[in-house]
Amino acid sequence: MTAIPSAGGRRGALAQGMTLAWRSLVPLRNEPGRLVQFLLQPIFMVVVFVLMFGAMSGDPEHAARYLMPGVLTQVALISTNTTGMNLAEDIVNGVFDRFRSMPIARSAPLVGRVTADALTTAVTILVALLAGIAAGFRITAAPLDALAGLALLLLFTLALSWVSAWLGLKAKSVASMQGTATAVLLPLTFGSSAFIPPDNLPGVLRWWSSVNPVSHLADAVRALLTGAPVGTHVWITLACAAAVTACFVPLAVRAYTRRIR
Amino acid sequence: MTYAIEAHGLVKRYGDKAALAGIDLAAPPGSVLGVLGPNGAGKTTAVRILATLVSPDGGRAAVGGHDVVKAPAEVRKLIGLTGQYASVDEKLTGRQNLVMIGRLLGMGRTEARGRAAALLAEFGLEDAADRAAGSYSGGMRRRLDLAVSLVGRPSIVFMDEPTTGLDPRARADLWRIVREQVAGGATVLLTTQYLEEADQLADEIVLIDHGLVAARGTPRELKARAGDRRLEIRPEHDTEKAELILAEVTGLTPHRGENGLLSVPLLDSAVSPAVFRRLEEAGVALSEHAVRRPTLDEAFLALTDTTTSGRTR
Repeated sequence: MTAIPSAGGRRGALAQGMTLAWRSLVPLRNEPGRLVQFLLQPIFMVVVFVLMFGAMSGDPEHAARYLMPGVLTQVALISTNTTGMNLAEDIVNGVFDRFRSMPIARSAPLVGRVTADALTTAVTILVALLAGIAAGFRITAAPLDALAGLALLLLFTLALSWVSAWLGLKAKSVASMQGTATAVLLPLTFGSSAFIPPDNLPGVLRWWSSVNPVSHLADAVRALLTGAPVGTHVWITLACAAAVTACFVPLAVRAYTRRIR
Repeated sequence: MTYAIEAHGLVKRYGDKAALAGIDLAAPPGSVLGVLGPNGAGKTTAVRILATLVSPDGGRAAVGGHDVVKAPAEVRKLIGLTGQYASVDEKLTGRQNLVMIGRLLGMGRTEARGRAAALLAEFGLEDAADRAAGSYSGGMRRRLDLAVSLVGRPSIVFMDEPTTGLDPRARADLWRIVREQVAGGATVLLTTQYLEEADQLADEIVLIDHGLVAARGTPRELKARAGDRRLEIRPEHDTEKAELILAEVTGLTPHRGENGLLSVPLLDSAVSPAVFRRLEEAGVALSEHAVRRPTLDEAFLALTDTTTSGRTR
């Protein structure tokens, strides 16, 4: 019996994950039409929320300062949808069966998917930010603070993409995954302080917006980009991201290894 | 003798339903084992167990000498899997699909590209190599799927209904590829719904139904038991008289089908002219007559009758 180098070894697993991340990104090059989703959607959000809703308020510049960090939060979190949808598609199409029959690390397909989606999310955030700047938004914080704000957003998005992964691995079809993810994401993003301060909301909406973790995220991102005091928002956001990651990475990995048809 | 593929008493249940109710399989190295059976017989479940995708609820199986439950990582190093539903990434081109698998298997960039190019040429996919796999025809997709499963030069290849739904020409292409693989020394387990396909490719056939082995043997043995061909006649009138003549000439009991269709296994070609002569003498006019190869259903009935007598379907 010869000792074959273990394909599931640590270095192997990382390389396999990167190969699968490449595989997730290559369709964008094959079919540039797919890029529209990553480019057009953030621009559209900036136009609607910053320019149009901003014009409704008496002070568009002030509105942009409030709304733009909210738009960044919104587009970043909505982009996590793709993680679960693509995983559900891989399962339905039998692509995962092929991976599972191969001598590769069990984690590689998940790591590859999440890595690729983190990259596209980063691009989405950047496009939204550039569109926002074109629309009159100014980063008024120190560069390091602003970077920390974007990093925090990306970190939280990454945590949420594991929830999306878990939903995708549990879903019976791509459409059902999309439905569940939308039902989770819309109340989280719109029902937060991303676009409207909780104080301005009535009854239940106000309560929900004040307990919603995304409100803390949006407030933290806003404070870090505009140089306002961050208060406890950063720590609460980090704690939420850590909790979500700690729960949903094992859940997603288990759903993946147990996914049997 | 060590078998490349070996299974004993495999059982797999999904809820109340037993997909496999205890089957044995054995394929010597370098042979083609054909697993034949209708939809829902348990063929795919058997392949999924052998390819380490699901665990059996009972029995044991070894591939390349490694237990599929205890040493799945070792099994995965040896096998290639082609699914019933072509599992290629439709958003990637054919070439990208192949390169991806090569890279996952630890090949360097250059090696993976070289292997991809060689397989594209071998499978006649060069013209479509840089098109998205989603745009491929059914036959091309199956060929790509098969090529993808062969990137790592597996010594044991599982093909789950590789030609279901293909036109005859695409099917013939795939058969050629299977034969080439076997000539290269690989062991192949092939599932199929087509008797003809098992006949063309397999060294040994295992016929399964309802999760049980209904019959096994070489294609020649099974065909002999199934009755190679059947003579069918449909008399315009006098069905009874025709049935008697048919029985008398062939020495067999004719099967009576719908609308007065009579059929008997045709063991000797000289029989049909004799039957027609006798029918003509007796003044029985035929609205239809034909010599037909057995359908899977007929072969199935014939074979299950001899092994599991008294079982009804």
